[in-house]
Amino acid sequence: MWLVEAAGGGPGTQEVRTCGQALGGNCRGALLEEERLGPYAPGLYAEALRALIAPEDGEAPAVPIVVLLPHTYQSAEYAPRLAVRLGAAYIASVSGATIDDGGSLRFRRSILQAKLQAEVRPKTRTVVATVQIGAFGGAESAGPPDHVVEVGRPADIDEHRERETLGREAAGAGGVDLASAERIVTAGRGVGGPDEVSVAADLAAALDAELGASRPVVDNGWLPREHQVGSSGHIVTPNLYVALGVSGSIQHLMGMSGSRIIVAINKDPEAPIFSVAHYGIVADLHEVAPALTRLLEARRSG
Amino acid sequence: MRIGVCVKQVPDTDSQLRIADSGRWIDDSDLNWVISSCDLCALEEALLLAEAEVSRGEERPELVVFSLGPARVEEALRKALALGADRAVHLADEALQGGDALADGRALASAVAGERCDLVLTGAQSDDLGQAATPAVIAEILGCPYAWLVMAVELNRRRRSLRVVRELEGGMNEVLRLELPAVLAIQAGINRPRFASLRGTLQARKKPLRVEDRAGLGVDAGLVGAAGAGIETESVTLPPAGAGGVVIEGASAEAAAEELVAHLQREAVL
Ligand SMILES: Cc1cc2nc3c(=O)[nH]c(=O)nc-3n(C[C@H](O)[C@H](O)[C@H](O)COP(=O)(O)OP(=O)(O)OC[C@H]3O[C@@H](n4cnc5c(N)ncnc54)[C@H](O)[C@@H]3O)c2cc1C
Ligand SMILES: Nc1ncnc2c1ncn2[C@@H]1O[C@H](COP(=O)(O)O)[C@@H](O)[C@H]1O
Repeated sequence: MWLVEAAGGGPGTQEVRTCGQALGGNCRGALLEEERLGPYAPGLYAEALRALIAPEDGEAPAVPIVVLLPHTYQSAEYAPRLAVRLGAAYIASVSGATIDDGGSLRFRRSILQAKLQAEVRPKTRTVVATVQIGAFGGAESAGPPDHVVEVGRPADIDEHRERETLGREAAGAGGVDLASAERIVTAGRGVGGPDEVSVAADLAAALDAELGASRPVVDNGWLPREHQVGSSGHIVTPNLYVALGVSGSIQHLMGMSGSRIIVAINKDPEAPIFSVAHYGIVADLHEVAPALTRLLEARRSG
Repeated sequence: MRIGVCVKQVPDTDSQLRIADSGRWIDDSDLNWVISSCDLCALEEALLLAEAEVSRGEERPELVVFSLGPARVEEALRKALALGADRAVHLADEALQGGDALADGRALASAVAGERCDLVLTGAQSDDLGQAATPAVIAEILGCPYAWLVMAVELNRRRRSLRVVRELEGGMNEVLRLELPAVLAIQAGINRPRFASLRGTLQARKKPLRVEDRAGLGVDAGLVGAAGAGIETESVTLPPAGAGGVVIEGASAEAAAEELVAHLQREAVL
């Protein structure tokens, strides 16, 4: 089996390596570099990797091949297109991988908003999988791949550049200093509505904490974008992180799992947030958070 | 001009999920079914684009919604019609069910091609399978430009082009230009989906809903449904319990608060 790891030192490289090592095999690291390939476009990068892996267009590779990419906003965008071009199975955001003695592969991935996880088996010999960042158990230092291959520029490059990048911009105004906050209290969708965000704000005030938000809270307009914690918001590492009514999706965990002490208040004992929480309270946040606020205020004035 | 919107019906995120006896999927006998959250944003964006054309004095684009799924999916399509879509296509055939992103993407691409859509909007990621891949497969099969995680769309009908804002990690966006036909996967937060009006709901009953099967789509049986999927789910389980933090359960709110504060003092974070 050949393993192609298409990660070039950016986010997720370590997870891709750890996943690759779990599968063994003859490993090649594929380096995709903008200097060589030109500005990123999904069709272009898919084509560059296709040409590396299956030089004869339309022909299945002679040996089983597993292509691993990090589940970043860039590679997760084009990886499915690569799978179609290779006639490969596509498995998105895996958090575990095993190979048995017979060479059969199994991948683990979260489904249904991380409430459950599935073990999936590819039916094809060629497989493209993206590896979930921050979810691959023990992504400690894994050695480098056996060989590193530079990915070449496809001949008919302009045919594959299906879109033009005009520029970059910040998604939301700044103003909330979450990155350097010592304490953060985050309102999740479980607070219930725009008027109930005050339960989180009151607790934040009592704790001298900044106010954070999960993505749906921002998407619904309950709090402005600059409060958002997670992969598409702020990455925070406070001393104390209190999550109110946050389920604990991987994108949220990516933003806060480095916090020193994590407290979760959630009424669902199976909410994934409890798997990273140091202290969990299984209860209605509308009862516990105000009780906590009152207690902290009483201690302060007392 | 025609805009296609792909909507998937999924269990309501607040549903209490039970693993089926087979251990391979959830027990879906008594769930509350809704349109996947990003797909509602995709539909809203299509409605906003259509309204913007009208306010510019242009002809209103036709909005066609597509959904692949069993009989229950008709309810999701009627909801989309009630919200303002003009027509619906239901990929209902048994031979199309049980697929993954590859199989479903192929079926949806055929349906979309059959309707000659100039622009296809989907959600960025379904709330159940969360593959974030079906729209990329549709784009690949149609051979057209694609963007995932779209946070803003401007249509230039004269130039047949789009200006699109795409989300990046860590609070950044990139601005892209794409030519039509194109597939855009819409990210949650791009807009706030409207609610259906009573009038819309009544009108939806009379709007055309076409049921399509595999033969009508002209796709090989081996490429769609469970047969065409590249992966098979062997088992579904609860995630493993975490590293074992302290859990406070069953106490009164005041007692829970006291206990937590005692812990936090010991941890020296208060
Ligand atoms: C590309 C991409 C990027 C993303 N980026 C981010 C990001 O940066 N940040 C982010 O947060 N998300 C992000 N998401 C969204 C993420 O997948 C989840 O949808 C989101 O984190 C869920 O937010 P939540 O936990 O607040 O809501 P939900 O998942 O709906 O959870 C609500 C929780 O509240 C609990 N609850 C309800 N009522 C009560 C009550 N009365 N008392 C106690 N508990 C209660 C429920 O049990 C539930 O666990 C992203 C998604 C994608 C696809
Ligand atoms: N069965 C389906 N019917 C209609 N649209 C779908 C279906 N499956 C996926 N999609 C679309 O593709 C998006 C991404 O789904 P997924 O690849 O499963 O994360 C969804 O948000 C839908 O817009």
